[in-house]
Amino acid sequence: MITADVWKELTSILPADHVQEQKTAETRYGNDGQVLVFPRTEEEIAAILTFASTAEKKVNVCGCGSKRGLGGTEDTADILLSTASFRGIKEHSVGDMTIFVKPGTPFRELQDYLASHGQKLPIDPIHAENATIGGVIAANESGPKRLAYGSARDLVIGLRVAYANGEIIRTGGKVVKNVAGYDMNKLFVGSMGTLGVITEIGLKLRPLPEHESLVLLSFPEGDIDDIQAFSEKLMKSRMEPVSLELLTPALAETLTGDASFTLAAALEDVASSVFYQEDYIRNIQPANARLSILNVEEAGAFWERFQHTFALDTSEQHQGTEVLVKIGVQHSDVLEVLKEGEREALCEGGHGGMGHGLCQLHLKGDKKQLADSISSLREAVEEKGGYLVVQHASLALRREVSVWGEPPAHFFLMEGIKTKIDPQRTLNPKRFVGGL
Amino acid sequence: MRRKKRLQTNDKHIKNLAAIVGEKEILFHKEDLTAYENDGFTIHSYLPKAVVFPKNTEETAEIVSYLSRNDLPFLARGAGTGLSGGAVPLNGEVIISLVKMKRLLNVDLKNRCAVVEPGYVNLTLTNSISDKGYYYAPDPSSQYCCTIGGNVAENAGGAHCLKYGVTTNHILGLEVVTPDGAIIEIGKNGIMDVPGYDLLGILTGSEGTLGIVTKITVRILTHPEEKKTVLAYFDDVADGSQAVSDIVSEGIVPAALEMMDGTAIEAVESAAYPVGHPKDIEALLLIEVDGISAGIEEQINKILDVCEKRNVRSVKVAEDEQERARWWANRKTGFGAMGAISPDYLVQDGVIPRSTLPQVLGRIREISQEYGLRIANIFHAGDGNLHPLILFDSRIPGETDKALEAGSACLQACADVGGSITGEHGVGIEKREEMRFVFSDKEIEAQTNIREVFNPYYLLNAGKLFPSPGRCGEVKKEEKAAASK
Ligand SMILES: Cc1cc2nc3c(=O)[nH]c(=O)nc-3n(C[C@H](O)[C@H](O)[C@H](O)COP(=O)(O)OP(=O)(O)OC[C@H]3O[C@@H](n4cnc5c(N)ncnc54)[C@H](O)[C@@H]3O)c2cc1C
Repeated sequence: MITADVWKELTSILPADHVQEQKTAETRYGNDGQVLVFPRTEEEIAAILTFASTAEKKVNVCGCGSKRGLGGTEDTADILLSTASFRGIKEHSVGDMTIFVKPGTPFRELQDYLASHGQKLPIDPIHAENATIGGVIAANESGPKRLAYGSARDLVIGLRVAYANGEIIRTGGKVVKNVAGYDMNKLFVGSMGTLGVITEIGLKLRPLPEHESLVLLSFPEGDIDDIQAFSEKLMKSRMEPVSLELLTPALAETLTGDASFTLAAALEDVASSVFYQEDYIRNIQPANARLSILNVEEAGAFWERFQHTFALDTSEQHQGTEVLVKIGVQHSDVLEVLKEGEREALCEGGHGGMGHGLCQLHLKGDKKQLADSISSLREAVEEKGGYLVVQHASLALRREVSVWGEPPAHFFLMEGIKTKIDPQRTLNPKRFVGGL
Repeated sequence: MRRKKRLQTNDKHIKNLAAIVGEKEILFHKEDLTAYENDGFTIHSYLPKAVVFPKNTEETAEIVSYLSRNDLPFLARGAGTGLSGGAVPLNGEVIISLVKMKRLLNVDLKNRCAVVEPGYVNLTLTNSISDKGYYYAPDPSSQYCCTIGGNVAENAGGAHCLKYGVTTNHILGLEVVTPDGAIIEIGKNGIMDVPGYDLLGILTGSEGTLGIVTKITVRILTHPEEKKTVLAYFDDVADGSQAVSDIVSEGIVPAALEMMDGTAIEAVESAAYPVGHPKDIEALLLIEVDGISAGIEEQINKILDVCEKRNVRSVKVAEDEQERARWWANRKTGFGAMGAISPDYLVQDGVIPRSTLPQVLGRIREISQEYGLRIANIFHAGDGNLHPLILFDSRIPGETDKALEAGSACLQACADVGGSITGEHGVGIEKREEMRFVFSDKEIEAQTNIREVFNPYYLLNAGKLFPSPGRCGEVKKEEKAAASK
């Protein structure tokens, strides 16, 4: 239920068709709003926030909603602010390899545009389908190619951020190297919208590689130990794969038709280097492993299928109960984690970076089974010194299990930051670690 | 060691600090303190109250907690090579020197990380893992002596950061003593993306104003299979600048792309590592490509083509490792080489979008004329990080101030094209006022707000990084903080 004065205020900021009353009383994923607004400019975002903080309203923030199932224990706030209508490229300096974009720009659209200039944003977020660049940055997403290119945090050079009181703050700048003042960009990247609404993102780009291919190395059952040995050998060699992602047999079956543990080593460089590395891998491959090499088009299609597999349906009608978890461990524990995943009856598949330690598992089951499975996985992972984050789950399940795990001992600093920047806790209430 | 003199003091704080670190690990006599009056930024000097040398985290925490309980200002110091005055004891601080915490605690090749104490010297890390095929990427020119703790504080860069990123891209974990003496550990075992706000990110580059780093987990990399280095001489600096842009537009990501202008060449050729650069050229480029051997040749050929197209006078590829090393020694000692042609010099550190290079270099030439001071340029051209070196003679009355003003004008020129006032040396005390070239009062306040979370009583390294209060809300807040103490 929204009151007449909220409606009146919001429609004085935005055209009426950019303000929608939300009808459903109970939502499956939560993080919703009584009223949904689609600002088209930074000024409109600032005005909405100024109103909300003065009137003591709570605001949830979203892009296109691909991460509705990530974090948060509240079903709704007073206002849901979507950046979906605030999109487009503000400035692209081709020669400087930098771009400044509005947060609602779809990630895919941005990549397609950049490709036409022979450039790319070197991140491969797993939830790229439907994601906006703002969401990718706010969640600090990355994918298998993190091995070579880093994550969103390594690429952001500047931001404009609307604070909860409507003030606009610039962080960083327009250049690729900058240590003027604190590195404030880092605060907002990955903060899940709890510190401000990102209204502009400055990113550094890379040239598209001249050539690329994908080497798939599958290990029929029984050769598990070979995987570790091979991965270590390749990582120690002077080859430069941009991914060394291990797929569980279930995921490999979906993607390649071969139900064995499979390593996906992407190669990107000038053609002569790519061929040379393919040969190198062929020469050191274990006797029982099966090797196939996908060319540029096939590799592109593979990664599309890969992303599609993890593009979960977040629509309200969706009935299945599924969960995605992200696990961070030392590189040398990735295989163990994926084996643990395989043993887990609910696991539909997973993958992990042999050279970066980030894994993802896809689980399906009823609420009780999922909650049990999450806690046993978390226990196993924490024993290895790692962590588990529930990346996608229904609101009901998120209320039952801890999404982010126990906050660290220095949580007081995070709380201090939140309190300084958003003292009224207007933005994305209870969405992040420790209820931030 | 002046043993007898030790602890002849009535200062109870000195006695109490000595009780924590041991009598040999504290300096407090004036003659011992003068070496700590400044760092690599020598224009302002202030005497510290004392210098203490803790041996481990616990001692550091104990010192900090003592100082904080007793309302005594303090700051951390590494090798003291900082170029912006970050380690200068503006308020008569007790300096906590980390140079005795210099152990390599762990190397984990499987997980590609190493754990070091903050006083561990940058290059020592690479040297100690190099035989196993690994290295630590951030390579400031001072790497033979600066500490990794200081690198974290300054978010240090270096010639090879163009391809491999600066310090912040290589930090996986930190142990930190907070300004009230608590020990916290951020990140664990080098595991990435630990949930929560990115405190590693905000601490790195905070110039020692948020906490004292006592342990660092860094990423280590395997050596590239091959490296090739090109040296190109240009008669016209504009051609050299254009070549920089062209190389990048070719889709090449060089490991390093450095430039020196005529004045800089004059200096390096008169100093300890001359390589025989012609003295009548306007610019040289030092370009390095590394990676998979099979792909290097092709990239080198493209670079040679670009240079030819931009009217290079001559260009050559290093024949062997010795030649390459000589070129790099010549480049990396470039700042110090200014001593060969000028009694004093001031290094600036602006950043610009690469495409504005010719324009800004032109402006710097004008500034040089306006102030009547020679300015040499040695810089990381690939990422637009300029280092104008302003040559002056401090014995001539007023010339130091003129040099400072010329430096500031160079930073204004960078800010005017949308650039930054510092790319790797930090703000320190040197560029506090210039922060206003790039940030509004509100934006500066947003940053001091973060400092207040970590460093609420402001005993740790006060007076750095931000313009002196006077405008924004800083004054009011500091009054409030003082009142609440
Ligand atoms: C000839 C020369 C060349 C240089 N070249 C480069 C270059 O290429 N790239 C580059 O980036 N820099 C360069 N520098 C600058 C300098 O070497 C770097 O900033 C370096 O990171 C400083 O390290 P340090 O150990 O000397 O730190 P210090 O100078 O001792 O301290 C610097 C700052 O860090 C703080 N600090 C030190 N240790 C800690 C700690 N453990 N915890 C918290 N705070 C701490 C201090 O309080 C101070 O604010 C150069 C300097 C010189 C003299």
